[in-house]
Amino acid sequence: MTLNPPSPSPSIFKEKESLSQLLSITTAVSYLSAIQRAEFRARTRDNPHASPTPALSLSSSITISSEDTVLNEDDENNYLTNPHTPPTSEQVFTTLHAEFGHCANEAYRCVSKHDYTKPFQEHTIEEPPYYIHLATYISFLILHMLGHLRDFFGKRFIKSHFTHLMPHNGYAPLNSDFDSFFPRRLKRRMDDCYGQPITGVPGRTVLILDRYSPDYNHTQIYTGGKTRALNISSYNYLAFSQGRGSWADAVVESIRRYGVSSCGTRLESGSNDLHVSAEALIAHFLGTEDALVCSMGFATNSTFIPGLAGKGSLIISDELNHTSMRVGIRQSGAEIRIFKHNDMSSLESLLREVISQGQPKTHRAWKKILVIVEGLYSMEGTLVNLPRIVELKQKYKFYLYIDEAHSIGSLGSRGRGVTDYFNVPPDSIDVLMGTFSKGFGAAGGYIAGSKPLIDALRLRSHSVPQPTKSTLSPSLDSSIIVPNESAEELSGMAPASMLPTWINLCPSLADGSEARVRMRRLAFNCRYLHAGLKKLGFIVYGHASSPIVPLLIFNPGKLPVFVRMMRARPIPIVVVVVTYPATSFETGRVRLCPSASHTKEDIDIVLRACDEVGGILDMKHGSCERWGIDEVCERAVELAHSV
Amino acid sequence: MDSSTSVALEPLLSFLTFSFSKLESGFYRIPGSAVVARYVKSSHQNDPGRTILELILVIFAIRTLLQSRTRTDRSGKHFIKFSEKEIDELVDEWVPEPLVQPLSEWEQKDLSSVPIIAGPNGPKPKLLATGKIVTNLASFNFAGLAGNEKVKERALETLQKYGLGSCGPPGFYGTIDVHLDLERDIAEFLGTEASILYSQGFSTISSVIPAFCKRGDIIVADRSVNFAIQKGILISRSTVRWFDHNDLKSLEDTLISVEKERKKRKGPLTRRFIITEGIFERDGEMVDLPKLVELKLKYKYRLIMDESISFGTMGRTGRGLTELYNVPASQIDMLVGSVANGLCSAGGFCAGSAIVVDHQRINGTSFVFSASMPALLATSGSEAITFLRNNPSVLLNLQDNIRAIRAVLEKTEGITLLGHRASPIIHFCLRTQQQSFSVTQPTYDYEAEERILQDIVDDSIANRRAANAGETFTWTRDEKAAGVVKASVTRILSKRR
Repeated sequence: MTLNPPSPSPSIFKEKESLSQLLSITTAVSYLSAIQRAEFRARTRDNPHASPTPALSLSSSITISSEDTVLNEDDENNYLTNPHTPPTSEQVFTTLHAEFGHCANEAYRCVSKHDYTKPFQEHTIEEPPYYIHLATYISFLILHMLGHLRDFFGKRFIKSHFTHLMPHNGYAPLNSDFDSFFPRRLKRRMDDCYGQPITGVPGRTVLILDRYSPDYNHTQIYTGGKTRALNISSYNYLAFSQGRGSWADAVVESIRRYGVSSCGTRLESGSNDLHVSAEALIAHFLGTEDALVCSMGFATNSTFIPGLAGKGSLIISDELNHTSMRVGIRQSGAEIRIFKHNDMSSLESLLREVISQGQPKTHRAWKKILVIVEGLYSMEGTLVNLPRIVELKQKYKFYLYIDEAHSIGSLGSRGRGVTDYFNVPPDSIDVLMGTFSKGFGAAGGYIAGSKPLIDALRLRSHSVPQPTKSTLSPSLDSSIIVPNESAEELSGMAPASMLPTWINLCPSLADGSEARVRMRRLAFNCRYLHAGLKKLGFIVYGHASSPIVPLLIFNPGKLPVFVRMMRARPIPIVVVVVTYPATSFETGRVRLCPSASHTKEDIDIVLRACDEVGGILDMKHGSCERWGIDEVCERAVELAHSV
Repeated sequence: MDSSTSVALEPLLSFLTFSFSKLESGFYRIPGSAVVARYVKSSHQNDPGRTILELILVIFAIRTLLQSRTRTDRSGKHFIKFSEKEIDELVDEWVPEPLVQPLSEWEQKDLSSVPIIAGPNGPKPKLLATGKIVTNLASFNFAGLAGNEKVKERALETLQKYGLGSCGPPGFYGTIDVHLDLERDIAEFLGTEASILYSQGFSTISSVIPAFCKRGDIIVADRSVNFAIQKGILISRSTVRWFDHNDLKSLEDTLISVEKERKKRKGPLTRRFIITEGIFERDGEMVDLPKLVELKLKYKYRLIMDESISFGTMGRTGRGLTELYNVPASQIDMLVGSVANGLCSAGGFCAGSAIVVDHQRINGTSFVFSASMPALLATSGSEAITFLRNNPSVLLNLQDNIRAIRAVLEKTEGITLLGHRASPIIHFCLRTQQQSFSVTQPTYDYEAEERILQDIVDDSIANRRAANAGETFTWTRDEKAAGVVKASVTRILSKRR
């Protein structure tokens, strides 16, 4: 078992000249894919709005650029690019299997919806045996001691490596060795697991650039090879970030028409009609009066929250809120109080305290109280207890801000996030914030709410009125529109008048059936993976239907080993591990993000891999009733519907 | 009775004596315990009151140690205890303010006067409201890259290959090879060791500053730096000293006084930063870079310079002030620029030494915690750099236009032109009567002034020229456009008088 980073060996999935391959069509599968491509080209040509010359170059560019994604004829057994079972003549798949898995079995579908007959599943934390905790603490202790020892001797004997940490030449050190201790001494040991560059579409599979480090992760050397791996890490929940398909065509058309940039801020000639229609569409999609879009999800939080609360107001924030919100809250100048993660009784007692006490010292009543929570927490996979928080809101009259960065497009029977999942009317929440970079596969963020609110934010938030600094959603809105529409179609009631006339969507997108299938596939994959891991004996956090499945590892030493072992498997799998400072010290974890593009077989493979690797690494400490891996795979449908 | 109790207590007493003797022998077995015992004995003999005092001290120490270190408002002296019923009443009584104050009439007008463009932005966009084609003096399209066919072509190719969103933060499979390419392109273009790409312009500098400046560090910043820098400084929690706007004499005085203070306090050596802009967003002034670098080196400060406006516009090929003044970019420790403005794509970057850049890969909040920029925007940026390298004449053209417009506006009555004469953003302000008469600080009515400026802008738009409140940006050579702005200014000002 190799636990070291892969050495520069040629990839097992060799890339070959694709042009020559196209001439020698041998298998049924490759024939089908060739037909699909031809169809795609024909459709692009038929498009009356496309100008003739670019269309030609477009089709040629597909053949060239699809070098990375095209089926590889030599690898008959290549699971990742060829479907497990060849499709029958009735089934037509318009996507590449490597980007969006072919899965025709209607049994592998679920509806993402809260069951009100069952009580809300509270965030329960399953504890591992004591020795695991003990081992975790000891590991950190050893890592720290070794790190400090190396610093101590390094500073004395190899000064050249430490110049930026020591005062030199009259300059104070650029970063204090205390601040940089964690990245230097702990993260560097597992740097090969982070920042792995990729190429191509981050869909069902992803091409990672092979690299190795000759000097313990100080430098990474790229071998030039690429490895295709099963991707269970990207936030591409609905797999709308694809290089081809009806929505990609619409983006192509919008770039042709609008160019890449909008060249200015929204208040200074950077607004165009696409922004306006994107905003209208989002508001319609979410069921709010109005919405605004921003060019970056992080900035949506960090620059709009200060527009909502200031001096004399109180912001109550969940302890595990994302950094972007914390930055925004700190910039706002309001008082800040924190409540225990997703603990509604802690929130209520805090509310009772702050309302009765008023502002500190003066005891004046608060101007307003803003409670900021996330719909779906990105590290825990927990869902906010929305029904309860809305009850509290009615009683305590606070304003509610929900960050739906991860839940929008991934939860709810129609993909509209937590409000849809819990069937809570969207107007009972004051501010709905979300991003396009996850479920919608684009980039940017939005804020939706009542018309006066959005108008005020348009003028008063930080990023919007600032010249030079925030070119808002450059041309990307066009791309936002498209996935939105398709999500919009989930409800099957998108008014055609809201879309720009030049967008031609294929019928399955226009009537919402495509998006509906994707939502249901995603819901199935999430539930199956979550329940499957539990049955295999792992400790898994979070809500059963969340698209974020954190699998607990605890020991810091096991984290990089897990990543390397998953990557070194016959079917490589890329996973994300997180530990301090993103989580608490002792709860290092793997975060799996299933998407709609995965097939049931893909989830089987992930489960099998976790089963094997988890067995070797002694990770199975769950208290749930255990099944064997074969039983889990066989009874997948039952498992997914049991939660 | 008595005897029966003593009989009943006997086993207990004997147990107590036994355990006491056991404890005593155990205590004396601890090394050094005899010394403690002797000390306690002698001190108790000399002064029994002291024993009590020391006992109280020990109890107090234990209590302090056990107390939670978090803020406990409940036990604070300002905490008022209420019964549950009283709290319910207080909750019922409390009426919060509305979440946002509704817009005033003026704000409403301001918002509705924002021009919305139908179709692509460029030198001559079409307005959605009126359908008129206007000349655009308001967009950041300095090198005329908006609508560039090559950039579009490259973006389309990228889209086919990479899809749209990157769907992950850079650390978690969100780094695409094209991001690395653009980072390398920028570093090579500027001549620095490395650079790091952020996915939004505004968040770049407000993330770079807190990545390096921590509590206790010293920031010396220009008084009128842009809003994003102010936010970055605010969040860094460093000690800030301001110097007069674009006044390097004032900067030097400040640096000297900081050094004096430090010597007086004999404090430890802390990190010190100078933060300023290349071309100021607020008024178009340009900083004297060679002098600034000289000061920075002399007083041993690190320089964070925001080149959001000057990158892509100044110098022969748009490398910014470093090219204009022929100062090596490596002299600037953190050179922050905008890919959105200069390269007509999106996002921002920070260029510097490899150590500076690597530090941000884990400490730059908006880099670490945000999805990386879409691949097609990164390749557009790379393509734009190639364009700038190959077409230096574009920037000569830009300078011609700036000169032409300034020439017309300088002759306009009632306004004063601000900023450096080569600056690609041209600001003008209203010349007020008071300024020429009173020596005391004139009292400005900002709102009224804004209204006049907004009227000028509206009037210009009505005459088919889009411009901005108090500032004008240029790409196309259009002296007529400047003429229209001039006419609008004259018309509105004469109405006001």
